[in-house]
Amino acid sequence: MFGSLFTSLNPKTAFRISITAIFVFAVFGTADAVFAQKKFSKSYPAGKNVRLQLTNRTGTITVRGWDKETVQISAVLQKPIANLEPKNLSGTIVIDVVRDNKGRNEVGDVNFNIAVPYSSSVDIETRIGNLQVNNIQGGLVRAHISSEGDITLTNIGAANVSAKNVIGDIFYDGVFQPSGIYRFYSTQGNINLRIPLRSSFQLIATAPSTRSISLGSFSNASMRFVGTGRRVVGKVGEGSASVTVTNQQGSIALLRR
Amino acid sequence: MNCENCQILISGYIDGELSPSESQSVSTHLAICLECAKLHEEFVSILGFCSEQLTEDSPPPNSQALWCRINNIIESEIAETKAQEALEPPVREKRGFWAGSLSFSRAQFVASFLAVAILSSLVTVVAYKNLTTPDDSLAGYETEPSVFDKMLAKIGVVDSPAERAKKRLEERKSAIEYWSQRVAKRRVDWDTDTRVTFDRNMGVIEKAVRQYTMAIEKDPQDEISSEMLDSSLNEKMELLREFSEL
Repeated sequence: MFGSLFTSLNPKTAFRISITAIFVFAVFGTADAVFAQKKFSKSYPAGKNVRLQLTNRTGTITVRGWDKETVQISAVLQKPIANLEPKNLSGTIVIDVVRDNKGRNEVGDVNFNIAVPYSSSVDIETRIGNLQVNNIQGGLVRAHISSEGDITLTNIGAANVSAKNVIGDIFYDGVFQPSGIYRFYSTQGNINLRIPLRSSFQLIATAPSTRSISLGSFSNASMRFVGTGRRVVGKVGEGSASVTVTNQQGSIALLRR
Repeated sequence: MNCENCQILISGYIDGELSPSESQSVSTHLAICLECAKLHEEFVSILGFCSEQLTEDSPPPNSQALWCRINNIIESEIAETKAQEALEPPVREKRGFWAGSLSFSRAQFVASFLAVAILSSLVTVVAYKNLTTPDDSLAGYETEPSVFDKMLAKIGVVDSPAERAKKRLEERKSAIEYWSQRVAKRRVDWDTDTRVTFDRNMGVIEKAVRQYTMAIEKDPQDEISSEMLDSSLNEKMELLREFSEL
């Protein structure tokens, strides 16, 4: 019936109806996915030395330091069933999506965008998804991915930094504080550390082969290749910070900032 | 970290009260120690139950009978201990160590002195080798195993990298089986993306485990491969444990 009606219309009208139908389908057909999302937003007054502890299941996490004594948490929950209950425990903001949703299926991605005072400590981990931390100068930055995802740490001045994943790249752009401890570990991904030329640290870098380790401007006479070149050990400057980089199947590069 | 320390810290770990390094140590230990992992799970489930039942007080059915049973068990244990004490023969008075007819010839004395000296030196060397951690300085990372190390490994006083790797594999076998079973139960509820991602990452880790196992088989003194194998096994257990929580 509709076929005969459609052919009885003049071509111009039929074309307009088709375009309108496609537009309506495009808008309302995808609306289900858009409307299914849930947004979450909450702010906490915080001191300068607040600690953020976040454990996520899947999704991206972006944390940035800002010049306000407030922690602002924004999240987009892919599925409204997901439960999110941040807690403020005497100076530590705890968000545990894994514990809050234990035994629930189909929780979906939870994508976080969090702002914290720049002098905060940040301890984040997720099962799957990318992690980004920017402009954090507090005591600790810990970014762990249980499986795959890229870790990007930029403008970091923390004295204790740990980044770990299985598949995915790790990029660190920051300084090594005197007596600081820095650990980077990946099973399969590239680890790039961009640091000032005048950094002072002792390095233990281990990768599958000599050609997987690039010291760039930081190569010096104290650097020794051991274990058929799979490990580089040595000092840059006075060697006050301790830097351990391990890559099971990828490369390691030190870049001048 | 040993089990005792882990069990002291476990409560703080659950509440997020530990320092990052302590938390990391506990997390690593939980991945490799089945007993502590089970304890951790029990704590978490108890806390979960308590938080759900905060306002509801649910006394056990027939609490009077329960107390009666507890009382009976305690009384029977006390009676058993007393009976055992009564049955034990009285302890004979011990004679002094030098009271016996111990007499050594000069040669025997010198030989025993030398034996004690060699044994104590050996124990000191072995203890030093086994107890010093490579984190202390760069020295442990800079050198290849010395001839002395190799000799100690050959006579079986110190484990060679290959033997250490074998021991670690055996130690972790039961933990890996346990977590694998947990994952097998849980994965039916995961969405397709999670299943695919988990399998892909497990594949990468297992590839590393195979690679370094083969390297150690090729060169049993290969310290770096032994360390890398250790890291890969830790990664495998952490991946299993963390995904079993989903």
